[in-house]
Amino acid sequence: MPGQAVGTETELDNPGPRTFAGVLRAKQSMVFSIAYHFLRDRSAAEEVAQDVFLQLHRRFEELKSDEHVSFWLRKVASHRCIDYVRKQKSQAAGGLAVSLEDVPMPSVDGKPQDHFLNRRLQSLIASLPEKPRMVMILRYQEDLMPEEIATVMEMPVRTVKSHLQRSLAMLREKIDRSMGDVR
Amino acid sequence: MMDDFEKQIKEALAKQDPSPFFEARVLGAVKRQARERRASLRMWWASAVVAMLLVVTGSAWQQHQKAVREEAAGKEAKARLELALKITSVKLQRISRKVEGI
Repeated sequence: MPGQAVGTETELDNPGPRTFAGVLRAKQSMVFSIAYHFLRDRSAAEEVAQDVFLQLHRRFEELKSDEHVSFWLRKVASHRCIDYVRKQKSQAAGGLAVSLEDVPMPSVDGKPQDHFLNRRLQSLIASLPEKPRMVMILRYQEDLMPEEIATVMEMPVRTVKSHLQRSLAMLREKIDRSMGDVR
Repeated sequence: MMDDFEKQIKEALAKQDPSPFFEARVLGAVKRQARERRASLRMWWASAVVAMLLVVTGSAWQQHQKAVREEAAGKEAKARLELALKITSVKLQRISRKVEGI
C-alpha cells in the first residue's frame, strides 16, 4: 500500500515512486525554486522548503495522487514564502532595510547578455509586491494557467490576470528603460 | 502563446537545485520529527494510563471508605438496638415483678 510505511526508517532510506523520499527527490527543485525566486536567498529558501517538506510528511497519507501532492506543495510553498517575508518585514521594521534589488545574485552560466537580462529580470520580479511576485513565479516557473494560480493562491481569476498584466507591463517598461540606458 | 519577452522571463525563472545536502537534511529532520512525535505519543499514553490508574484507585478507595463507614454505622445501630432492647427488658422485668407483687 502506498504511504503505509511513511515515516519509517526503511521507507525514508529507500525512495520509491510514491514514497515520501521519492516525492522529496522529485519535487525538491520545484519547491526550492519557488522559494528561491521569491526570497532570492538560498539559505532562507532551503529553510522554507524544508518546512514545507516537514509539513508534507505529516500530511503525506492524506494526499492520494502525484497531482494532489504537486498542487499541495505549490500552495503551501507559496503561502509559506509570503508569510516568511511578512515575518521578516515585521522583525526588520525600524531596523536597516535592504532592498531585494541590492541582494547579489549567484553566478549563472550562459551568454553575458542573457545573464545580464536574467539578473535584471530576477531583480525586477523580486521587487514586485508579494502576491504579484508569487503569481509571476507560478505562471513562468511552474507554467500554471491563471485558473490554476487562482486555486493555489486562493484569489479570483480576474485578480490573477490583473496581477500578470500589470507585472508584465511594469517589467517591459523597466527592461526597455534599462536596455536604453545600456545602449 | 508566450512572446519572446515572456520566454525570457521563463528563462530567468528556470528551476534551480537546492544544495546537495538538502535532501539528506530534510530526511534527517523528518526522522527527528517522527522520533519526537513517537516520544510525545508515548508520553501521552503514559499520562493517560497514570490518570486512569489514579481514577480507578481513587474510586476503589472511595468504595472502600464507604463500606467502612457503612459497617461502622451498622455496628453503632446494632449496639444502640441492643442497648434499647436491654433497657426495655429491664423495664419489662421490673413491671413484671410489680405485677406479680400485686
